[in-house]
Amino acid sequence: MDGHINWHSFYFLLFGLTACVFSVAVVLTGSIVRMAFYLTLCLGATAGLFFLAGAGFVGAMQLLIYVGGTLVLLIFGVMLTAQGPFVNMKTRAGEWVIGGAAGLMLLGLLLQAAFRVEEWRGPPEGVATATAENAPPGEIGIRMLGKPGDNGKAVGKESGYLLPFEIVSVHLLVVLIGSAYLARTKRRRRASDPAEST
Amino acid sequence: MGFHEQIDALIDDTQRSLALFGPELALCGTIILLLLCRLVIGDRLSSTLVAFAGTVVGLVAALFSWSQVAGTSQEAFTGMLVIDSFTIYFRIFLLAFAVLFVVFTWRSGIPDREDAADFYTLALGSLLGMCLMVAANHLLMVFMAFEMASVPSYVLAGILKGRRKSSEAALKFAVYGAGAAGIMLYGISLIAGVTGTVHLPSIGASLANTMAADPSSSVLWVLGLGGLMVMVGLAFKLSAVPFHFWAPDVFEGAAAEVGGFLSVASKAAAIALLVRVAIGFGFVQEASAWVDAEDQSVVQTTNGVDQTSIASASGETTSQIFIAARIQDGNSASGQNSQDVQTTGADHQQGTDQQDTDQQSGDQQGTDQQGADQQTELTQPDESQLSPEQQAAEAERLAEEARALGIAQRREAQEVANESLGPVRTYISYLVGFLAAITCTFGNMAAYGQSNIKRLLAYSTIAHAGYMMFAVAGAIPSIGTSTTLAQDHISALAVYVAVYLFMNFTAFAIIAFLRNQTGSEEISSYAGLIRTSPGLAVCFSLLLMSLIGLPPLAGFAAKLLVFSALADSGLWVLLIVGALNTVISLFYYLRVIKAMCLDVPEEGQQVAVFPIWKNIDGWFIFLLTLPVVVLGLFWGPLREWALAACSQLLS
Repeated sequence: MDGHINWHSFYFLLFGLTACVFSVAVVLTGSIVRMAFYLTLCLGATAGLFFLAGAGFVGAMQLLIYVGGTLVLLIFGVMLTAQGPFVNMKTRAGEWVIGGAAGLMLLGLLLQAAFRVEEWRGPPEGVATATAENAPPGEIGIRMLGKPGDNGKAVGKESGYLLPFEIVSVHLLVVLIGSAYLARTKRRRRASDPAEST
Repeated sequence: MGFHEQIDALIDDTQRSLALFGPELALCGTIILLLLCRLVIGDRLSSTLVAFAGTVVGLVAALFSWSQVAGTSQEAFTGMLVIDSFTIYFRIFLLAFAVLFVVFTWRSGIPDREDAADFYTLALGSLLGMCLMVAANHLLMVFMAFEMASVPSYVLAGILKGRRKSSEAALKFAVYGAGAAGIMLYGISLIAGVTGTVHLPSIGASLANTMAADPSSSVLWVLGLGGLMVMVGLAFKLSAVPFHFWAPDVFEGAAAEVGGFLSVASKAAAIALLVRVAIGFGFVQEASAWVDAEDQSVVQTTNGVDQTSIASASGETTSQIFIAARIQDGNSASGQNSQDVQTTGADHQQGTDQQDTDQQSGDQQGTDQQGADQQTELTQPDESQLSPEQQAAEAERLAEEARALGIAQRREAQEVANESLGPVRTYISYLVGFLAAITCTFGNMAAYGQSNIKRLLAYSTIAHAGYMMFAVAGAIPSIGTSTTLAQDHISALAVYVAVYLFMNFTAFAIIAFLRNQTGSEEISSYAGLIRTSPGLAVCFSLLLMSLIGLPPLAGFAAKLLVFSALADSGLWVLLIVGALNTVISLFYYLRVIKAMCLDVPEEGQQVAVFPIWKNIDGWFIFLLTLPVVVLGLFWGPLREWALAACSQLLS
């Protein structure tokens, strides 16, 4: 294409390679802090892939929740709980073999699945396609309030997401109680020995 | 529809759905009350009382909703949940279990003063998830309910803090659970990607299209993989082999109370979810829209108040034309009875020739505007001479006819669609049946060498998960051929689950009470129990014999129903595996009975003294053992109830 770079392909390759390389790095490295950092890069690159695919909302959520929330928490957790400066995990040779074999088999299956479906292969060479439409955030918000969607297709109806949106808050409350329970030190019940209660 | 109408429709739907959501709301309210109560009072009794009151209210609400939804199954929250008699049966089951569980933990004393509020919050939160699992009608709800039921139970497994085994159990459970959930989610995304929908009944319809168009489509391979991955998640919840690794360690490490919770409630919810997913994939419901893949004609289901959509089809299935006609009863500007006829068939000309409805419209090419101008010649030669009342009556009659015709046509389409789903059902049946056979055999074999009673019961619950899955494997193939037969088979499962509650839960209760006295959960510590506490020993023996499936106990009735379902479906291999397993299970259950009744306690060994008549604990055990005997003799009513529960499943 006479010197022009197809930026879409360029970014796809960039994000895709970043995600792949760093996810492999997460598995290969032994240091937990490095793992967390590589995971940040990997998840960030995945968010980039979502943006490229036109799913802006999902990409933003990926950045906010995984990169912004979970991983920062993870790194803090590692830093606060680690006894030494660098915790190293060792994997035995046998575990490498079994894990590798299982992983490669799963990879083979999923690759096959990904390339089997005609519609997932993308348009043939040289055919221009319309870029995917972003769902506007307002529409997403209304769907969260329970408005059934209209997917334009004949089969099936798209439900509104009121129930999952609301019930997950109850779930988060319960899980919060659970984590608080696990984190709390159990008090000794013997009142005669207050020195032991920590 | 304007924005305000949309909001009004939303409010209407939500109010209608909330009325069906009573038991879950009661659970949510109880969780919040527990937390508030802890702020103010904070002793053990108040937490237990709040939990007890909440679960009783939930149970009453669930029982009340049985009569409320006597008619047909309803979708709640715009298709997220389905509330039918099957849902309500399992909801009653789960909430009845919750009430018993609260009473049991109040007596056994595992949540102590400062843990009680947390313990009940977690247990009820998990139960809420299970209630949603039972009602799930949407793959998102399937996953969310799965997580809602699982995550609190990871903490419950580690409720005994400061014990190495307990913490190990919780960690193992959490890691396995996270892995299973991840795989299940991947499977769900594959299925959603291929079928283009996440609404369970629509998945069946979409699948039928694919099958009808090309039975050897490469897409099916991906769907099969997706189904397999969803099954991984369900197998984890059911503790089916090969995803059972967590079960023995968790049951041994966690308190017996939690073991009872996981083995009964969690398993019942998981098996109900398995039924829901299997039916969603292998059955096309009449109510859902179905598209004939060949000519892309549409049957539209309109839920509007003043619109009736009809579908008229004629000819062979290959040339089916569906014409969705909307009849409006005089709401148009001129106040006339007008019809607008939409042809959506690709070859509408043929459809016009063949259709024999009342609509003799000359030109069906038209848009809505053109269609609205047309009058039906047959019924309205001169519409100006008809009074508005006549017009309305006429419209009603037309709508009625159209509806009858539409129902007949849709039935036909449904049958065709269901026929094309045959291979899908075979796949599900084989998959579930295979897993059930190895689960059952492995569970029984591994239970043989156990010396810890909780570990033994863990393997026993694995084996029982296998028996329950037998019932599902037996029911799925008959979905396509005979609805009543399939309902009959699923009701065998419902009976099994109800009986299993009494057998297994009471066994765990006995283990907990004996642990409180001797501090041991080894089978050898039960030696000589028949002399010190004969009532308890007899109850425990009855429960174990019922778990084997010996007549005349309830376990026998349940097993008989499951096995007869297998025989009906012609799954003889599974039947033989099941029968052989029953024989194998005889030995390890009898070993416990032998320890109680024949073995002599060692020198200095503390033997529990547990009078069955003297205190509440004894009465609790006695009253829960009683149904195992009674249901073994008179299982007719339970069977009737289970049949009624399944009567709305395949409509």
